[in-house]
Amino acid sequence: MNIARALRAVRKSIWVFHLNSGSCNACDIEVLDALTPYFDVERFGVKLVASPRHADVIIFTGPVTRESLPKVVRAIKAMPRPRLILALGSCAVGGGIWWDTYSTLGGFKKLEEILRESGVEVDRVVYVPGCPVRPEAIIYGTLLLLGAVEQKVRSSEVAVPEG
Amino acid sequence: MSVAKILEMALRAGRVTRRYPYQPPLLTPEFRGAVRIDPSKCWGCGACVRVCPPNALTIRSSGKDVTLEYFVGRCIFCGMCAEVCPAGAIEVTKEFELSAASTEDLRTRLVHRLARCSVCGAPVWTEAELRAVVKASPIAEEYIALCPKHRKERFAKAVALRLGAEGE
Repeated sequence: MNIARALRAVRKSIWVFHLNSGSCNACDIEVLDALTPYFDVERFGVKLVASPRHADVIIFTGPVTRESLPKVVRAIKAMPRPRLILALGSCAVGGGIWWDTYSTLGGFKKLEEILRESGVEVDRVVYVPGCPVRPEAIIYGTLLLLGAVEQKVRSSEVAVPEG
Repeated sequence: MSVAKILEMALRAGRVTRRYPYQPPLLTPEFRGAVRIDPSKCWGCGACVRVCPPNALTIRSSGKDVTLEYFVGRCIFCGMCAEVCPAGAIEVTKEFELSAASTEDLRTRLVHRLARCSVCGAPVWTEAELRAVVKASPIAEEYIALCPKHRKERFAKAVALRLGAEGE
């Protein structure tokens, strides 16, 4: 299978599966908010599905607790290639408040390493910070994942001016 | 409920969907987004680092310079850093479109120059903070560019001279 061609094909009408890896449910409520007629993410053809086997994108929330880790790996493994992930919220991006606790992995970055070790490849990830994320930020992240908008933030290093 | 009644309700409610990417977002005055640190005002004192609940702000000294790093991917947007900043350098913006393809893009760094002891050359702390201290209390000026050890020595010598000890 040609992954690059498949990635180019995923441009609209994506089906998403919502995967909670132990989040506080605030981000999950915002995901529901984005699906309501008020923000209506279905304008872009986004549809919530009940199984990762049907999904193009996994909407990933939570800091990956140790209890949820094997289930999360199984759910992502069940997804067909190309695997696209939308990591939502401070927990999924950098671990949030729980970035160094014993009972969580501390974000999707660490999970990605574990997935790679167990032979599960993830093709594209977009990180959406927010605590919780705004529905508009979810829409923006989805559009960035599909390549419809430009990324606004860049890593920067500024020196303090003299005098 | 009949179709006619649903149709009537729908017509009364009108269109509620916000056309977000083509329309400005719904931001309230209370909304807090990412913080912005003003490089010309920041001292590098680290008060924001101590108060930050998820350690999104970190400060470290490499021996050559002091780097204040803001990782927006871990920020919980509480605004406590802006509240505690003695220089008023941190501003809470309404920026929320922070999505990025890698976590490296979510880091911003502010590099402070390190002031050195005028006697031994050991690093003291950031130049910006020393300038702020001089501004607050002018008598500190001759002691400011010294490391704690040499500052103590100079102070002891001054006290001894005042008490009538012989100079060298």
